[in-house]
Amino acid sequence: MSRNSPFNWILLILSSLVLLFILAPLAGMFLHTGGSELLETVNDQEVRASIWLTIWVAFAATFFFAIGAIPLAWLLARKEFPMKNVVQGIIDLPVVLPHTAAGIAVLGFISRDGLLGKAANSVGLTLINNPGGIALAMAFVSIPFLINAARDGFTAVPERLEKAALSLGASRTRVFFTISLPLAWRSIMTGFVMMFARGMSEFGAVVIVAYHPMVAPVLIYERFSSFGLKYARPAAVLFIIVALAVFILLRLISVRKKETHILPDAEA
Amino acid sequence: MLKLENISKKLGDFTLSGISMEIREGEYYVLLGRSGSGKTQLLELIAGLNEADSGKIWLDDEDITFKKIQDRNIGLVFQDYAIFPNLIVFGNIAYSLHCRKTDKPTVKKEVTRIAKELNISHLLNRFTHNLSGGELQRVALARTLITSPRLLLLDEPLASIDASLKDDIKRTFRQLNRKGLTIIHVTHDYSEAVSLATRIGVIHNGRVIQEGLPDDVFGKPANRFVARYAGIRNFFRVRFSKEGLSWKAESDGKLAFNLTEGSYPEEGLIIIKNSAISIYNAELPRDTGNCFKGVVKDISPCEQGMELLVEAGELFYVDVPMNDFKKLQITDTSDVWISFPSEACIVLNGGSV
Repeated sequence: MSRNSPFNWILLILSSLVLLFILAPLAGMFLHTGGSELLETVNDQEVRASIWLTIWVAFAATFFFAIGAIPLAWLLARKEFPMKNVVQGIIDLPVVLPHTAAGIAVLGFISRDGLLGKAANSVGLTLINNPGGIALAMAFVSIPFLINAARDGFTAVPERLEKAALSLGASRTRVFFTISLPLAWRSIMTGFVMMFARGMSEFGAVVIVAYHPMVAPVLIYERFSSFGLKYARPAAVLFIIVALAVFILLRLISVRKKETHILPDAEA
Repeated sequence: MLKLENISKKLGDFTLSGISMEIREGEYYVLLGRSGSGKTQLLELIAGLNEADSGKIWLDDEDITFKKIQDRNIGLVFQDYAIFPNLIVFGNIAYSLHCRKTDKPTVKKEVTRIAKELNISHLLNRFTHNLSGGELQRVALARTLITSPRLLLLDEPLASIDASLKDDIKRTFRQLNRKGLTIIHVTHDYSEAVSLATRIGVIHNGRVIQEGLPDDVFGKPANRFVARYAGIRNFFRVRFSKEGLSWKAESDGKLAFNLTEGSYPEEGLIIIKNSAISIYNAELPRDTGNCFKGVVKDISPCEQGMELLVEAGELFYVDVPMNDFKKLQITDTSDVWISFPSEACIVLNGGSV
């Protein structure tokens, strides 16, 4: 096929349009935000607190739920059990739910009458309008990203490597931590970053569970509805810059982590 | 030492059925079979990677059928080596010692010792992704041998090795066996089996169909499948008949073979080794047992020299040493005479395949 064939030109034009569709609104937002407005927003204590809250709550939610999600992903990759397809369907459910509906579901669960709400209340904790509740809402909508990526990572690890480790006398736990987990690490980290990013950007479910303390997406919405586009824009730009920076940092760490993992055993 | 009693295992559409065999202390047992014959599955049952549906496995008079894989003390070297790509060579070899919480100086000492034995000391700090097949094989072997296994299982260990390195690795296996290590080696390669085995088992469609010393198995193959393994290509379905005191076998192509004295069934399959047939460019006196006139149909190089395909009422494959071939000045349309003694006609079990 010639380089200048009509097919190549059509591909190029359509691909460019899609990329433009993603980049144009973002570029417009950045171009409409002046340096002084941005500086003012950086100095705004409320904005800073809300971005910080968003980052640490999303990170904590991802971290704590990973403890259960990664073993579940291994089970899905390695074991056959009755109703496995149903379990897989349940895991994907949050992705297809409207996020406000997901928020209502989580709210029912953590309110004073809900199962978890009652338990939290008994130890003097209220989850509504609390970072704990926000973390649960974030995790609810974003956990499929981690489970599915980790499952794909474990599936890609050749099973005979695990069998070889067993035949060398390793326990199942040791095989998991020394063979399966390190080899699936890149996929797990990708899932981790995706879950974190998805949780950080969640608005629908979080706003129902906790309007206050305000996470960044809720703060941007609040500024927009109260003061209009001009006031919401600098906060949105700042949040995007910080989110991108964290996102890139995590990707870099995950890649470096994989490379350095291989070395320590040499010194044993 | 190792005893399998009536082992059966269903794996999808494939079944290992009623496998019984015994491996004696210090033996080099080669299990020969085509891919898909069940040999790897059998190794995995012995190693404990899978459990048998029925039957028993005994190691040193202990029933290990359901014993945990970690406690069997059986070493398995996988066909593709199953080297851990996230660990360097040192980490791979030391893996089992780390599992046993061996102290660091001992780990280092043991890994250094085994690496020296297998000539891979220079690889210890290397990553595994750029090692050659032969190097990976040695790393896999070192990783298994460091556990001092009671029994070593080798799954197609030479399948991915360059031809030039095969002799080297074979020598290593022989040395290990000579030091007293009992080895079960599965392969599809006849020459590997002949060059290494002290005893051979042939596995086909999930059953061990013949077992014995290499000479016995290939000298008296139990069926066409085993005979093919020995490189025999002359098979004839025949009807046996007695004429006076002598026995004859008439092939489908109406060729009559003279047989030695003995008792024969009504019908059967006989084989004649390629190397047992002599070829001449002139007729011989008819006292050589069997002598037929034919025409050469094809000539191709083979390990022994040249392989000739001769049409003489039936198709015969004949191996001719290169010197003889040159002397005979045969072309691929030459008229020739082939002859073989009556003893060269081997009758297979009832002619079954």
